[in-house]
Amino acid sequence: MAHDHDHRFDRRHFLTGILAMVGGVAVAPIARAMQAGMDPGYIPATPYMTDDQRALTAAVSERIIPTTDTPGAIAAEVPAFIEMMLSEWYWQGERDMVMSGLSAIDAAAQKSHGKPFAAVTPEQQDAILTLAQAQTLSGAPADSFEHLRQLVIFGYYSSEIGCTVERVYLPVPGRYDGAYPYSEVNRVFAS
Amino acid sequence: MSDYEFDAIVIGSGVSGGWAAKELTEKGMKVLMLDRGRMVEHSADYPYEGTGPWEQPYRGQTPPALVESDYYASRYGGAAQTAVKGFMNNDRLNPYAFKDGPEFRWVRPGTVGGKSLTWGRVSLRFGPQDFEANGKDGHGNDWPVRYEDIAPWYSYVESYAGISGQKEGLWQLPDGEFQPPHPMNVAETWTKERLEKAMPGRKLIHTRCANMTEDKPEQGRSRCQSRSQCNRGCSFGAYFSTQAVTLPAARATNNLTLLADQVVTSLEYDPKTKRVTGVRTIDANSHAAHTYRSRIVFLCASTMASNQILLNSKLEGSDKSFADSSGTLGRYVMDHAMLTTFSGNLPEGTYSDLIEYGRKPTGVYIPRFRNLKGQDADADFLRGYGCQGGGHRGVSGAVGFGASMKEGLRTYGAWSIGFNVFGECLPYIDNTVTLHPTKVDRFGVPQALFNVTFRENERKMMADGARQGEAMMKAAGLVNVWSEEKPHIPGDAIHEMGGACMGRDPRTSVTNSWNQLHEAHNVFVTDGSAMASTSCVNPSLTFMAFTARAADQAVKLVKAGAI
Repeated sequence: MAHDHDHRFDRRHFLTGILAMVGGVAVAPIARAMQAGMDPGYIPATPYMTDDQRALTAAVSERIIPTTDTPGAIAAEVPAFIEMMLSEWYWQGERDMVMSGLSAIDAAAQKSHGKPFAAVTPEQQDAILTLAQAQTLSGAPADSFEHLRQLVIFGYYSSEIGCTVERVYLPVPGRYDGAYPYSEVNRVFAS
Repeated sequence: MSDYEFDAIVIGSGVSGGWAAKELTEKGMKVLMLDRGRMVEHSADYPYEGTGPWEQPYRGQTPPALVESDYYASRYGGAAQTAVKGFMNNDRLNPYAFKDGPEFRWVRPGTVGGKSLTWGRVSLRFGPQDFEANGKDGHGNDWPVRYEDIAPWYSYVESYAGISGQKEGLWQLPDGEFQPPHPMNVAETWTKERLEKAMPGRKLIHTRCANMTEDKPEQGRSRCQSRSQCNRGCSFGAYFSTQAVTLPAARATNNLTLLADQVVTSLEYDPKTKRVTGVRTIDANSHAAHTYRSRIVFLCASTMASNQILLNSKLEGSDKSFADSSGTLGRYVMDHAMLTTFSGNLPEGTYSDLIEYGRKPTGVYIPRFRNLKGQDADADFLRGYGCQGGGHRGVSGAVGFGASMKEGLRTYGAWSIGFNVFGECLPYIDNTVTLHPTKVDRFGVPQALFNVTFRENERKMMADGARQGEAMMKAAGLVNVWSEEKPHIPGDAIHEMGGACMGRDPRTSVTNSWNQLHEAHNVFVTDGSAMASTSCVNPSLTFMAFTARAADQAVKLVKAGAI
């Protein structure tokens, strides 16, 4: 029966299978994931940020969700998502708060290293973000980092890469099993 | 069957209207079904069905500014989700007097199919005690019907709609015609075993719901695929909706004319014959006015909209509705109180190797246990409540940032189980919906104005729900037990009922035991407005049963020449 299909034929494995079949030259998001560097790429329909702010947003996003054995925030187009949400979705107050938090992160890099955040080493970036998360970063509005972090998390795990590569996507599960071994997937199902 | 253009006009195409159209057309009547909303065809008009969040604008989240301006009430029915918004009312274009009077959340749909597309699908029968409560404690009018009158009609609609559940033999929550239940998860079975042992008499059962677990090939419907994205529309037809179930049946008879975008403004009434002689409409696009005529009318516009239409149907030369000879039209407005929640976690390590595969479209239910055999000694309120919830295993919390956070988000937290308490609201004669004296909508219809509040009985009941809920969670051995009570705002449950309540006496009620207006026996009001009390269970299944029963009676009366 079609609806009794095995979980191994879910979307994530389907994509992986395609990858194997075509020798790694895969569907667009996977290809982008593999080629992604620090280029934030896509610019939203209603641009909101300067190029410097875009580079900063991309660098912060990638440190919050880095490329590991799966693609990171940049490959998942999280920076462009953040710009779009700030420009089209957020209330002015929230938008200003997030942008001030980003500015404070950049200012900290300038102060400590004489360079923009996007240009310092990953270790230096992490040290600054650790201060931001501890709310000890000068000039950062309270909770601005947490807001940004949640935005990155939401943007990543609602992206195609987040849902289908990092997580296991089941568009049509076909059945419900409330006692399913985690060891069958060792991953989280996208909701 | 008659000299009219149509034998029957059905106003509204939601849960009740769809059933009215199906039953009347199948019994040979030529039916015109009118809906104020736009057309939504099954499957073809479910644009977000099966899409991932990345394929939806704003990843599925309606921008807050738009929610605030256009969906200030329907946000509580799902309009904050991109995939649901298109099925909901635009409250800016079609307002009610929401800033006047105490807060009331009137959550409306905006399409053919009404709330049947987006409802919660919980399908429970009222019990014998529910039909006796008004008569026993003196609140509201005694129901002119009893459980035994409705029971066969529950069976009738359950069998066709496809309700999953399990027979439990509980007198306060009668069994029905069930397909097998959706399976419980381990958190639910764990809690059920321990709760039922620790507190004899308490039950934790499968929620009975209109998501099928078996195919109905004769209706072209498949069983639930465990997507749990029902309110985007379901091309499998796995849950009951007008589009998947009653509309195809009505269309198959070739007796149905369905017109979308037709706003019914009022009914035309002839006091000499005591009949409604026409249904006045305005086309939502062209604003052209028309009056449709039929022998009988089924008023199924949804509880508050049906009240609004009746209130706006004035006797000639009078400010008074023809249907309001009793003075009770628009009174006894009710909704369930439902913002008490309680929850707990399974102890650390319990079933830590197991997760959920697929997404269950329903959960578990704790049937009413308060004031069942008379008044409980320790209950400081009348009637009772039920608890709707479910077990779940969510993703671990995001700790820190970077690779460690990402790795942590690949694991699950503890199994948890949580419930919402749904409490019966007493019928109060001064909880009202009226027409605003000056504010009208874009069709010239006076806006609905609500003066509905929950009272001491509801507040005490909800506080008891929190106490009992915590006690049950603790007795079952759950940890991190927690309860919370948010302000209960009428309308929130989207279980609004009353206003055209049934009763035996035309001097104190609006409709009779067959849902006919006392003042016009050719009009049957079969949505929530005719309900004389709310029970504590979700009401849609009861609307279906009353509608099917009324349609059967209507056809008999027409054939007998009585109406």
